[in-house]
Amino acid sequence: MRVRALAASILSSAAVLAVGWQLGGQGQVQVAPDAAAPAASAATTAAPQAPSAAASTPTAAAPTAATPTAAATAPVAAAPTASGTFTGSVSRTRYGNVQVQITVANGSITDVTALQLTNDGGKSVSISNRAAPVLRTEVLKAQSANVQSVSGATYTSEGYLSSLQSALDQAGL
Amino acid sequence: MTLRTASGTSASGASPTARRAVAVNRDRAVRIRRRLRAADLMVMLCWVSVALSVSLWLAYGGAAQVTDVASALTAGGIVSGLVGTDLILVMLVLAARLPVIDRVVGQDAAMALHRRLGKPALYLILVHGVLLTIGYALTDGSSVIAETISLFSGPDMALAYLGLALLIAVVVTSLVAVRRRFSYEAWHLVHLLSYAAVLVALPHQLSVGGVLADGTLQRVYWIGLYVLAFGSIALFRFILPTLASLRHGIRVAGIEPVAPGVVSLHLKGRQLDRLRVEGGQYAVWRFWTGSTWWHAHPISFSAVPTATSARITVRELGAGSAALGRVRVGTRVWFEGPYGVFTDAHRVAPKMAVVAAGIGITPIRSLLEHASLQPGEATVLLRATDPSQTYLWNEVAGLPSMSGNSVYTMLGARPHGLATWMSAEAIARGVTIASAFPELLSSDLYVCGPQSWADLVVRDARAHGLPDAQIHIERFDW
Repeated sequence: MRVRALAASILSSAAVLAVGWQLGGQGQVQVAPDAAAPAASAATTAAPQAPSAAASTPTAAAPTAATPTAAATAPVAAAPTASGTFTGSVSRTRYGNVQVQITVANGSITDVTALQLTNDGGKSVSISNRAAPVLRTEVLKAQSANVQSVSGATYTSEGYLSSLQSALDQAGL
Repeated sequence: MTLRTASGTSASGASPTARRAVAVNRDRAVRIRRRLRAADLMVMLCWVSVALSVSLWLAYGGAAQVTDVASALTAGGIVSGLVGTDLILVMLVLAARLPVIDRVVGQDAAMALHRRLGKPALYLILVHGVLLTIGYALTDGSSVIAETISLFSGPDMALAYLGLALLIAVVVTSLVAVRRRFSYEAWHLVHLLSYAAVLVALPHQLSVGGVLADGTLQRVYWIGLYVLAFGSIALFRFILPTLASLRHGIRVAGIEPVAPGVVSLHLKGRQLDRLRVEGGQYAVWRFWTGSTWWHAHPISFSAVPTATSARITVRELGAGSAALGRVRVGTRVWFEGPYGVFTDAHRVAPKMAVVAAGIGITPIRSLLEHASLQPGEATVLLRATDPSQTYLWNEVAGLPSMSGNSVYTMLGARPHGLATWMSAEAIARGVTIASAFPELLSSDLYVCGPQSWADLVVRDARAHGLPDAQIHIERFDW
């Protein structure tokens, strides 16, 4: 009977871990392709990105110098506008510096990495650790720096989003 | 060995008896299956709770954040903190004396697991602190000491360090070598600090780090776990015992000296039959006198309670139990319980073999009183060093359930230099556990007496091939 307890424990624990892994993996789905190919010109990444690239093209086209390219490629939809990684400027906050790097594939943001986060004191490290994934998810969803700051992490959020905006400007998005 | 009663009406073709035995065995088999299933489920729940605490971190996307040594150390720190805290909460649930846990595996087994988890849980919490400090220090490029100082500066973190210090104090004072220097009460008081340690650690879990961040399912689950653990303690250790004590209004009705240093306390109360005490069970008693109220004593029922009366028998061992002989008639008594799996309901085999030594007779006496035994079903061996320790022996032979069953007695000291539970005289006559209990392998063996003595009985039974499922042992010396 103890064999049964052991087997049941192993099976159910494995199931619980698998579900956790799966849930955790869902937030990372977008990361997977760009982590594998930062150059991001493969057809595999272009296909899923197509709708969002098309959607973001009008807003991206307006303020930037990339207008001709964007206009030319808009009907094609699958053609790349901007690709690669862009590092934002360093934002200084009273709790330390914040700097982010974005990965862009075909005109859409596929990943945001925090290079520096507010780290003066253990509390702000922990606040940053909490805020950064939230901001990253929001930015990936909104495809812009137009997201709400995380409550309780105002300085981190402001620094994060301003560094992000400078990276977006460089990417011409 | 002397034969006390042996009116052998062996079930010679008595078909109604045989049919009844079959029915009893069938019921017993069903109960065993159910109990084993519940026990397996509980083991599984323990492991699943550990897996879940790792899963909280996985679902948060923790695995993807591991990119270098610093983030791997930080991740290790987070996971060990989650698992360590989960284990401490499991320990609290085990110590809460949940009726279902006591019924299925017994509070003894639950507390054995509780003790086994103590050190791993502390190590995990220590690893949690060490890994996170090193991980953060590497990320920030600062020294471990500077990082510790900066970590300490947060208000929740000061509480977390306090919790860690309390936890270390609790585990250190629980180590056997250290514990001997403390009185039980002092140790127990320190032990209660573990509740405080787990509580003061909660704020930093919720405010620091992202796994249990605001608005996540993880946070809901984690708080639920805390509520479950502390709720069980509050409900089953404090609220329900208090209500039951008030409801049954037990008072000391009489004090009867049984032998030098041994007294039976006769108790009276309301609706005591509603407690559904099974023979062989115990309760944790608190006597409201000036010198005894702060000390709860686990003492076995030496008789199955009636609607208005109960009896417990106690030998004066510690200072606390010596004072019990001096409580006055009318003293108010609070209790927690009944607890224990040393009962007829936990039998697995068709026959019963019973050994009791000294004051270990008390649960045996009520066990035999409560069991509905067929003639020839049970064999009882009562053991004492000298005639002054033959407490309640006269009562055992006179129990209605013992008619047609054999009660043997074995008096005399153990031989020098030989690890045995039997008297020198019995050893000289070549008595073994197999000769004392000819049907041992088809019996449940019930053993109660001093621990080292009981261990020797169990050793002999195992050597004879008796499976552990058929061995029932109640370990206490009071």
